[in-house]
Amino acid sequence: MSEMTRVALDAMGGDNAPEEIIKGAVDAVHKRKDIQVLLTGKEEVLKNTLSAYTYPKEQIEIVNATEVIQMAEPPVAAVRGKRDSSIVVAMKLVRRGEADAFVSAGNSGAVLAGGQILIGKIKGVERTPLAPLIPTARGVALLVDCGANVDARPSHLVQFAQMGSIYMEHVIGKKNPTVGIVNIGAEEEKGNALVKETFPLLKACRNINFVGSVEARDIPSGSVDVVVCEAFVGNVILKLYEGVGGTLIKKIKASMMTSLRSKAGALLVKPALKSTLKSFDASEYGGAPLLGLKGLVVKTHGSSTAKEVCTSIIQCVAFKEQKISEKIQGAVQGTQDTNS
Amino acid sequence: MEFEKLQEIIAEVMNVTKDEVQPETKFVEDLSADSLDVLQIITEIEEAFDIEIDNEDADKIVTVQDAVDQIKKVVE
Repeated sequence: MSEMTRVALDAMGGDNAPEEIIKGAVDAVHKRKDIQVLLTGKEEVLKNTLSAYTYPKEQIEIVNATEVIQMAEPPVAAVRGKRDSSIVVAMKLVRRGEADAFVSAGNSGAVLAGGQILIGKIKGVERTPLAPLIPTARGVALLVDCGANVDARPSHLVQFAQMGSIYMEHVIGKKNPTVGIVNIGAEEEKGNALVKETFPLLKACRNINFVGSVEARDIPSGSVDVVVCEAFVGNVILKLYEGVGGTLIKKIKASMMTSLRSKAGALLVKPALKSTLKSFDASEYGGAPLLGLKGLVVKTHGSSTAKEVCTSIIQCVAFKEQKISEKIQGAVQGTQDTNS
Repeated sequence: MEFEKLQEIIAEVMNVTKDEVQPETKFVEDLSADSLDVLQIITEIEEAFDIEIDNEDADKIVTVQDAVDQIKKVVE
């Protein structure tokens, strides 16, 4: 049997905590025998919620944390001030090596800031980007960075490309993933100062498969596997992606209900439509990893349900088995040696 | 003692040589640290010296010597 992956799970974080978070943990240990979940949060609350389920006892453990960081709290002050919160306690488990990974649907800023402050960056990593998987016509693409580093520098984007490539290849299983930088045109001379300065650096980077610029309209078709940009741009892309997707589905559903004829047609296309929409369901892909830390940190949507929590827990196994942190350190230091 | 340990921690986090970390070195200006880098260093200090530095005191740390002074203040 393979080695156990220990996942510290913030049981108090997110709109549906603790019920959906705990259900996600129970689902994960039913699916995988090689996962142990360490639930952090108020012991009594967690015990009560867990008591509704049957599950292999040795695979779920409660670690008491008396405080909760609320969704709207200022992140850095909360991480520094609430030292007995479910987020901080869970991250310290990773820091001490008692857990391999941390998953949270809680306060995004606290998760991002806490990741660096409490777990720490891998030596040589300049910034730690948040990298969600986004559905495309060809499967998925990794959008890196989508929320951690506004005002990034060219050297940061080069590392984002390297770390994103490692994640796509070894966790998602995409061989030699293509990398594109988000731009407003295909030509090398297009773009703002950051893109123009980064482009030649990516071109010269030997451990990635850089294919040039990618325009936002080409991302959904799956034109590249790793989409590199600074966080402001990445966040806009992600939110627009979600917004357009949601609106389109609503409009299609509404138009199908306008007449008897369209209703009959809807019945016929329903199975095909359902399976297509499923491939564009974000909860199928789990949460977004924060890349470049000494342990894995996965941020799931604040509105995550058990399904997304379960997928996020399971995605930690590949991260550990594939020794992603070691690979990132090797790639980043290899580049620095080359440049020095 | 505090300074040598601190040199090690800062060099590791900021990926610089120990020689680049001197008492007068400024975290942001000289080492290109951002606010999270500084807080990561403070967490490492807290672990290494088994102390807790208040947020208010942490905000006052600009140079390496400031950090040394904070450690001494808490330890004493």
